[in-house]
Amino acid sequence: MHETEQHDLSDDSDYAAASRHHAPGGIMRTDSGKSTASEAGGSEVLYLKDNVAIHPTQYASERISGRLRLYKQGSSLFLSWIPYKPSTDGAVDSLGHGSSSIPVEKDRSLYTIKSLPVSDVHSIRRHAPALSWPYIIVVLSSGLAYPPFYFYNGGVREFLATLKQHVFIVRSADDSNVFLVNDFQDPLQRTLSSLELPRVVSVANRASRHRSDLSSSSFDDSERLNGASYDATASTSEYSARQKKFHDPARDISIQVLEKFSLVTKFARETTSHLFRESHNDGLNAYEKKQQTDYGSLKPISTSDDKKKDSNVIPVASDPLEFEKLPLVWGKQRMHPLCLEEWAAFLDSEGRILDSKALRERIFYGGVDQNIRKEVWKFLLGYHEYDSTYAEREYLTSVKKSEYEVIKSQWQSISAVQAKRFTKFRERKGLIDKDVVRTDRSVAYYEGDDNPNVTILRDILLTYSFYNFDLGYCQGMSDFLSPILYVMKDEAESFWCFVALMERLGPNFNRDQSGMHSQLFALSKLVELLDGPLHNYFKQADCLNYFFCFRWILIQFKREFEYDQVMHLWEVLWTHYLSEHLHLYMCVAILKGHRKKIMGEQMDFDTLLKFINELSGNIDLDWTIREAEALCICAGENGAACIPPGTPPSLSIEPDMGLYPQEDEVL
Amino acid sequence: MASRRRMLLKVIILGDSGVGKTSLMNQYVNKKFSNQYKATIGADFLTKEVQIDDRLFTLQIWDTAGQERFQSLGVAFYRGADCCVLVYDVNVMKSFDNLNNWREEFLLQASPSDPENFPFIVLGNKIDIDGGNSRVVSEKKAKAWCASKGNIPYFETSAKEGLNVEAAFQCIAMNALKNEPEEDIYLPDTIDVAGGGRQLQRSSGCEC
Ligand SMILES: Nc1nc2c(ncn2[C@@H]2O[C@H](COP(=O)(O)OP(=O)(O)O)[C@@H](O)[C@H]2O)c(=O)[nH]1
Ligand SMILES: [Mg+2]
Repeated sequence: MHETEQHDLSDDSDYAAASRHHAPGGIMRTDSGKSTASEAGGSEVLYLKDNVAIHPTQYASERISGRLRLYKQGSSLFLSWIPYKPSTDGAVDSLGHGSSSIPVEKDRSLYTIKSLPVSDVHSIRRHAPALSWPYIIVVLSSGLAYPPFYFYNGGVREFLATLKQHVFIVRSADDSNVFLVNDFQDPLQRTLSSLELPRVVSVANRASRHRSDLSSSSFDDSERLNGASYDATASTSEYSARQKKFHDPARDISIQVLEKFSLVTKFARETTSHLFRESHNDGLNAYEKKQQTDYGSLKPISTSDDKKKDSNVIPVASDPLEFEKLPLVWGKQRMHPLCLEEWAAFLDSEGRILDSKALRERIFYGGVDQNIRKEVWKFLLGYHEYDSTYAEREYLTSVKKSEYEVIKSQWQSISAVQAKRFTKFRERKGLIDKDVVRTDRSVAYYEGDDNPNVTILRDILLTYSFYNFDLGYCQGMSDFLSPILYVMKDEAESFWCFVALMERLGPNFNRDQSGMHSQLFALSKLVELLDGPLHNYFKQADCLNYFFCFRWILIQFKREFEYDQVMHLWEVLWTHYLSEHLHLYMCVAILKGHRKKIMGEQMDFDTLLKFINELSGNIDLDWTIREAEALCICAGENGAACIPPGTPPSLSIEPDMGLYPQEDEVL
Repeated sequence: MASRRRMLLKVIILGDSGVGKTSLMNQYVNKKFSNQYKATIGADFLTKEVQIDDRLFTLQIWDTAGQERFQSLGVAFYRGADCCVLVYDVNVMKSFDNLNNWREEFLLQASPSDPENFPFIVLGNKIDIDGGNSRVVSEKKAKAWCASKGNIPYFETSAKEGLNVEAAFQCIAMNALKNEPEEDIYLPDTIDVAGGGRQLQRSSGCEC
């Protein structure tokens, strides 16, 4: 045991030695990753890519960079990924920001893949988000999945092309970004076997889970307490199976601590996670080392010792609803909206907001009274700085007003003759014209024929599409702008508030839909974490794309609630108080709230979509916010780890990168 | 379950934003036209019972967002479609020019088993506007295109006035039905034990 540990921990030096040895020896490495020379051990490197990194947490800064290789030994193909030594990290990272990462040394060896036979790979999923780097997820036949590998120097296509030259790869019929490796089965068998629901275990989840978090463990602990038959998420089960196997004393202590907590009180996140971290640290290495022995050979984790898990296969069979009844956590009682007097108290004599956190917390729990929305929203949206003074803001307003007029005049000055030869402009304008007349016309402010406010909506959107020509106009934007103009009642101010909102939510409208895909992906991870049976149900029903939540996310529930409720919800979301992604937890909350119906009626994708669409107007907002709050607290860092870096409305990881890649699309 | 499924005909409506897809669907299903429909976000569908040759079917009509950048969602929404309705606005040339893109995008994403013979229908909508004086695509031109694509049936409609809508959807239903029986040749219909396997269920046939 001990020997293996040492061996594994020496990966870095292995790598360093290996590269020293080979670099001059003529691995002709071009940045395209092709290399042909033979290695000493009789292995031939077919593909080599530097700066392929993983993110053990959601923070972009916590990155472990390494070198990905495909090589051939005899007739077998292997994949390896060896992280760089910490000292070389910054140096090798051509993007020049790797040095900011302070990844835990243990993580490096934890994630190392020394030699993975490609014959063990089940599939590779490719992601190419526009605002982030492309990455792949490697899923093994055993059901094990590696955390995403981010290709900071590109090269995904070559990687797949190289693979294709040496192994049999087919694109999945269900998802063109999934490449099935070694897939010789006929389609019928394949479909049948997919119904057996191989459990996909995320290595990343496990790593982050034992980092500090208490949430998922608290879930299975509380079940145990109640003797309910709720099944924890697949990965949690795997985790506890492993834990049982290895009898990690730290884990046992944590369980006791958490049991007490769940009995006594709601979660006090900081306290419990602190406790957990402390009690855990002692045992960390022991667990870690055991884990590493597994990584060398990548054996599927044995699950036979955990009988409870079997019921996971048919999630509907057990009654997971027992779990719902636990009065374990409940979001705080909602408060009345922030009123003028309270608001005034947050401002100092010159108009600065000194305690913005307290303000955001206050708004999170109660929203804002409508007569001060106009003021408050400018801060929440980020148009005004919290520490700005009255005078600074007044000045900004006047500067921004003329700035707006300048941008607006850009399209206003396009004559009819010019427009004739400016297809892109005409089409964009046409699209906006069509949409503003379909936006909130039942709200008195936008009602009736020739309503000037509808024209203002049009003007602002068209101006925005010049301000951000690359992103342009996309359906859904008018939904966002309408309440803003309604609140601001001022064209230029509305424009700049909208600009601020789009700083965060613009990626929802990316041409390649990357912002949406990353949110939907994060949502699926959150459901997996917070409601394993429901996740398994969706998986089995082929609903894991979560497209049925598309509208919820694209326009942040705009179509699901009454107009004034939407404004209330948005200001709560914009506080980013507990999380920037509370809206995703809201999705989880609503889905969980209807899980009995969804699973009981065995809804398929179509039925589910219809069901979700028809929930519009029938969702209890306060309940949903409280439930989302509770889920967010419960999920803690595990929840945060489900959400990839740069997922909107988080600011983009690399704001100065080409923001909106252009494709052929005109509009 | 299987027999209910069998009666389902899935129809997808595609076309540029604003050509009247949502309005057409609502006119057909609810016999209503409203100026207040919101721009479609994501996808939705309405169902309507139709009778063809003494047999009852459920027509499931899918309406999706028309803007190009939402097309990647199509994979999930188009699969299992029995017929695809391509809509353009007779007053907007570009919406007509785009029909081919929509058709190809559909074939790509839905990947029907027999793309050559997959049933499409083309609707030229908004013929009511300006008494037809602002139209820029002639019936002749539209029909020529339809003929070149394997004789796609063509209708001129007005969702606003309810013109030709019923007839168009009757044709759509018929064509969707024609498409159905072909699929079940491939798979046995004893597959229902699989329970959740949507694909299998869908194709479990219609040989009544
Ligand atoms: N005059 C007229 N207007 C129509 C017709 N069909 C739709 N519209 C209008 O065109 C706009 C877009 O319609 P909609 O059904 O939302 O288009 P979609 O984006 O394709 O779903 C709306 O303002 C409708 O009121 C029609 O047949 N005649
Ligand atoms: Mg529509």
